[in-house]
Amino acid sequence: MSVTVLPIAPRPDGGLASHLSVHKSGGRDRWSEPLTAPPEDPVQATWGLLQEVLDPEIPISLPELGLIYGVEWEGGVARVRLTFTATACPCMEFIREDITDRLEAESWIDAVEIIEVWDPPWTSERITPEGRAKLRRLGVSA
Amino acid sequence: MSDALDVGSLDRTQRDALRRLVLSLADSKRLMGIRYSDWLLGSPSIETGIATSSMAQDEWGHARLLYSMLKDLDIDPVPIEHDRASEEYASVAPLDEEMPDWAALVAAICLVDGAMTTMLESFAEGSFEPARGRVPKMLAEEEFHASLGSAWFKRLAGAGGDAHRLLGEATRAMIPDLLAWVGADDGPARAMVEAGVIGDADGRVVAFRDRVRALTALVDVDVDAVVPSEDWDPARARSPGHPSEEAVERARGDRNRALFVE
Repeated sequence: MSVTVLPIAPRPDGGLASHLSVHKSGGRDRWSEPLTAPPEDPVQATWGLLQEVLDPEIPISLPELGLIYGVEWEGGVARVRLTFTATACPCMEFIREDITDRLEAESWIDAVEIIEVWDPPWTSERITPEGRAKLRRLGVSA
Repeated sequence: MSDALDVGSLDRTQRDALRRLVLSLADSKRLMGIRYSDWLLGSPSIETGIATSSMAQDEWGHARLLYSMLKDLDIDPVPIEHDRASEEYASVAPLDEEMPDWAALVAAICLVDGAMTTMLESFAEGSFEPARGRVPKMLAEEEFHASLGSAWFKRLAGAGGDAHRLLGEATRAMIPDLLAWVGADDGPARAMVEAGVIGDADGRVVAFRDRVRALTALVDVDVDAVVPSEDWDPARARSPGHPSEEAVERARGDRNRALFVE
């Protein structure tokens, strides 16, 4: 699979690196190239794209962390039901922007709608077996 | 659990009562966060400083979710959060001033945060859908606050001397206002009970006393014998007074006003 490594280039004026204005995760996520044609199953395809969006603090994907409660598809709009690990998660905006950035990179997605949900409350029980395995390899128990 | 409340069917009196309830909880959470943040540095250990940092973060997260419930009443939460004067804040009275010592903060963790948890448990079991959906996460986070507070309360109570005395003084000072707040039974409070938004006053008071009885006994305070404060401001559902100007400036985010992104 080919991957796109986002550039990390300083701005000429010495301000924030240019990638910060387009990709708030700082370019760590590795995204596949956009699909060349609309997928047969947009919901399934959206789940696949979300697998490329990592939690900003823990290098496993949002679905693996159990933060995605649902994906819906309606007339070109990808609707993502998202929760957070904590009510004051400091990465809320990063996560929202990373989801939007990744999904809007696809030409077949006209708009992204993120619905914040808190029911049921997230606990570490929601981390998938794949996510746990990755965390274990990183020396993190969950 | 009650049937879901149809907010659109509420009359003006009921809507005002629901607004008062949500603001009372949200403002208390926000001020609780500030009181935790006062101890990020200067608490008894690095670990407790980190704990107060985490708890401050939690409280502001809870406040954010509570303020956002005002949208269900067609009220914009942004000016509520950032433009009110201290006299308009509905936070519980024990949070008005900075805690004078660590013992007072420990008392606040158990008693003030405990009173808020009592109210939120009742709110989560009521008919207001946003509370049903959002409050359980807050309660899960509050379990850690209660655990830390309880451990410290027992430690200070058992230490004797000034630690025991200061903890007892703070406990005695806080409980009357908290009993009045948890046990609010005026017109707006009853309207919320009748609408199924929250449980009845007697039940809430019993739950609060059950929550703190064993701890307060450690500093020779019989919570069942404490008389609730009689001073009451019905507009804000709290005792008269208001949080300090310095605290409200922080609550409103005055220093960062030019950077608001909401």
